[in-house]
Amino acid sequence: MGADSDSGAPPNVPWRKVLYERQPYPDNYVDRRFLEELRRNIRVRQYRYWAVVREAGLVAQQVSCVAIFLTLWFNMDQGDLGPSKLLWASLGCALLGYGLYEVLGGGSSRERTRMTDLQSAAIFLAFTFGFSPVLKTLTESVSTDTVYAMSAMMLLAHLVSFPYTQPSPPGSLSLNAALFASVCLASRLPGALHTFAMLSCALLVFALWPCLLHRLRDRAEWSFPLATGLVCTAGVGGLASLWAGGAVLLFLALIVVTLVCPMLLVHLQRHKDNIHGPWDEAEIREDLSRFLS
Amino acid sequence: MVLKIFFPKCCNTADSGLLVGRWIPGQDSAVVLAVIHYPFIPGQVKKYLSQMRSQSQVDLTVLGSWSMPKDGQEGMESFLKDLSTIFPHARWLQLGRESGKRAFTCRVVQKNGKPPADQEGDEKDKIIFIHYDQRKVMLSQLHPVQEKGTEEESTELRMVFHTVAQSEPLFFLDMYDQGPLKLTHWQSEGREASIIVELVKQASFPVCVILTWLVSLWQWLGSFRMLHVWPVQFISSKLSTCVQTGYRTEHFQTVFSTKKATTHMEFMRKANMFVSFLVDIALGLLLISWLYRENRISQLANTLVPVADHVAKELQELLEWLMGVPAGLKMNRALDQVLGRFFLYHIHLWISYIRLMSPFIEMILWYVGLSACLGLTFALSVLSDIVALLTFHIYCFYVYGARLYYLKIYGLSSLWRLFRGKKWNVLRQRVDSCSYDLDQLFIGTLLFTILLFLLPTTALYYLVFTLLRLVVVMFQGLIHLSVDFINSFPLFVMGLRLCRPYRVAEGVKFRVLSEEPGTPLHLMMEINPLKFSSVLQCYRTPTYSCYPRDSWVALCKKLFVGELIYPWRHKSTKTD
Repeated sequence: MGADSDSGAPPNVPWRKVLYERQPYPDNYVDRRFLEELRRNIRVRQYRYWAVVREAGLVAQQVSCVAIFLTLWFNMDQGDLGPSKLLWASLGCALLGYGLYEVLGGGSSRERTRMTDLQSAAIFLAFTFGFSPVLKTLTESVSTDTVYAMSAMMLLAHLVSFPYTQPSPPGSLSLNAALFASVCLASRLPGALHTFAMLSCALLVFALWPCLLHRLRDRAEWSFPLATGLVCTAGVGGLASLWAGGAVLLFLALIVVTLVCPMLLVHLQRHKDNIHGPWDEAEIREDLSRFLS
Repeated sequence: MVLKIFFPKCCNTADSGLLVGRWIPGQDSAVVLAVIHYPFIPGQVKKYLSQMRSQSQVDLTVLGSWSMPKDGQEGMESFLKDLSTIFPHARWLQLGRESGKRAFTCRVVQKNGKPPADQEGDEKDKIIFIHYDQRKVMLSQLHPVQEKGTEEESTELRMVFHTVAQSEPLFFLDMYDQGPLKLTHWQSEGREASIIVELVKQASFPVCVILTWLVSLWQWLGSFRMLHVWPVQFISSKLSTCVQTGYRTEHFQTVFSTKKATTHMEFMRKANMFVSFLVDIALGLLLISWLYRENRISQLANTLVPVADHVAKELQELLEWLMGVPAGLKMNRALDQVLGRFFLYHIHLWISYIRLMSPFIEMILWYVGLSACLGLTFALSVLSDIVALLTFHIYCFYVYGARLYYLKIYGLSSLWRLFRGKKWNVLRQRVDSCSYDLDQLFIGTLLFTILLFLLPTTALYYLVFTLLRLVVVMFQGLIHLSVDFINSFPLFVMGLRLCRPYRVAEGVKFRVLSEEPGTPLHLMMEINPLKFSSVLQCYRTPTYSCYPRDSWVALCKKLFVGELIYPWRHKSTKTD
């Protein structure tokens, strides 16, 4: 039973890695082929520093977008910026962006016709303009601190849930959070036209700009760092006009995100220690579409 | 082996003779029903017994002999022993009693002539005498009541009761009859009857015929096509007066039907309905006599219009308060003004309506008060309907507020799902992720923000009007509960339980009469009446009782979501 009668002398029968047979070896016996299928770090990618920095630019530019938006709002609140001016500027930027989008993406089959785009624009404009008196009175009875706190939380949620890997269809939660924050802020402005202008600007900055950026990154690789740098500069500069300390903070944050964090990432890769083996769960790799007819 | 003999109390002092009764099948017991005295002719006894068997469906036989020797009657013993050869038997009882002694003597003789069991033997048959009051057992009904035809599975006690109750034809002949047989049983001093009961029994049949015809005429009137048009039907199902009328008509149908009640339950039900109807009318007449004295009707009418006015003014003040800064809450000004003005206009309409009706109120009240002669339940139903009509505007406000709130909650929950990027999958009844279009997202978020910030205002209006509506509903519910109580309380059976408790029996209890060694055990059987709560439960008339439709948790959930609540559900009358 179990233990061999002659302990010390190795038995003649070769050991097999099965448990359903009674073998003259003890149950926890292993031979020299133990763990020969163990593999370490087979899927570890080697990051290169500047590529990571390039990708991290997306995070930085999104933070700067939020900063730009806040700048615009503050200026409108103070009365430095008139609503009609902002509206015309938004219209110009929108047309410019649309043209750029068409130029870069032209040639591939379109999912949406020009007619659909026009329809969407018309719907959105009509709705916003129609609801802006209602939107203006929404937060009348809510205290200022609450409004600021809500907006801050919502913008934070927007940043956290933004789909950085695939920004082209904007994620629901991030876009909705950003729009909610912008409605809260816009309802604090003095007039209905202000609200309308603010909301149009918010749509441009949060919904349409990431699509254009994604297209830029796909089609014209060289322009992506340029655009990112432009946006970051605009963000820091805008904040500087409001509050110098904030600008400094933003600048520092951008530096950390863009330069320091990638360095940490690359540096810590050498501590990675993943083990793989036949005990892992099976992953289906092949294309099953030939079975689904 | 224990032999139980049920012996009627009235036969304790009977003269010697034959014991007539029944052997209970399957048990070792016998029920003695009567004693046939000397002189008798055996042939006539047999003829009489077979006649009684066919009349009462009870398996009557001669059980044995009874000897209570008086002075100058010696020598009966051997005569009685010889009787066993005349009448067919499986076992023959020889009971005897000596005057002055309490205990009986008993001998059992088997058919094959075995020697009578000795009292001091080894294999002695123990005999227990159970004395019972024959009249009470005959009239009583064991509960829970079993339907006919299941006699085979009854217990011994049930069979004893059933036997005594079914042997009523046996108790018609008494000692003073001129016929050939003289019996002793509980009615042996003469049949008891009362003139009034007999007169009522005779008169009831034609009266029932007339009343049934009247009820059918009323039902024919009610079945007109014109009254079955949908609006009329809908209104009449909501007015509690109409419901109560229909319910009472059904009652009358049952009570006044010419078919005699066959089972105990049917009889009790008829009696309960009849008595409760009489009490209802009596209370209604009392109410009328109080109401129409000292000009109370006009006093009531004079106070009604100012009360309605006052209620409307209070509502107006409430709305003004809501339009301002209620309880320190900050409302959305624009929506507040819109809703407040809308409801104020309704109240203005209502006050005009009341002012228009005020000259006619007294006359209406006078005629309506007369309807109380149809019963107190009728008057209460009419009161409930009047309250419903007078607070109709509160009901309208509640419906508006609830609908608005419900739409808002529904929209909010759907848009909240859109906010998170999810959607309700109707097929799978769960929440799934969904990729929305850009414009869908945009408009969805806008609407979500608007609905969210307008929620406190709507919620407050909804809360206020729901509370008002609940107050009215509670009041109406109270009235309905009391109507229901009057309808379903089984007065007749309760009276029976109080005055003649042996009629509704739950079981029996035994008291030891004499327990001397050497003589058989004598027990006295007394009837245990049914508990009051069981009486109520067993004999409640099924009504269209209104009871809460939802439990408290479900009600709160409905209130929270904004669904319209109809807290009382009217069950339709059950017919057994």
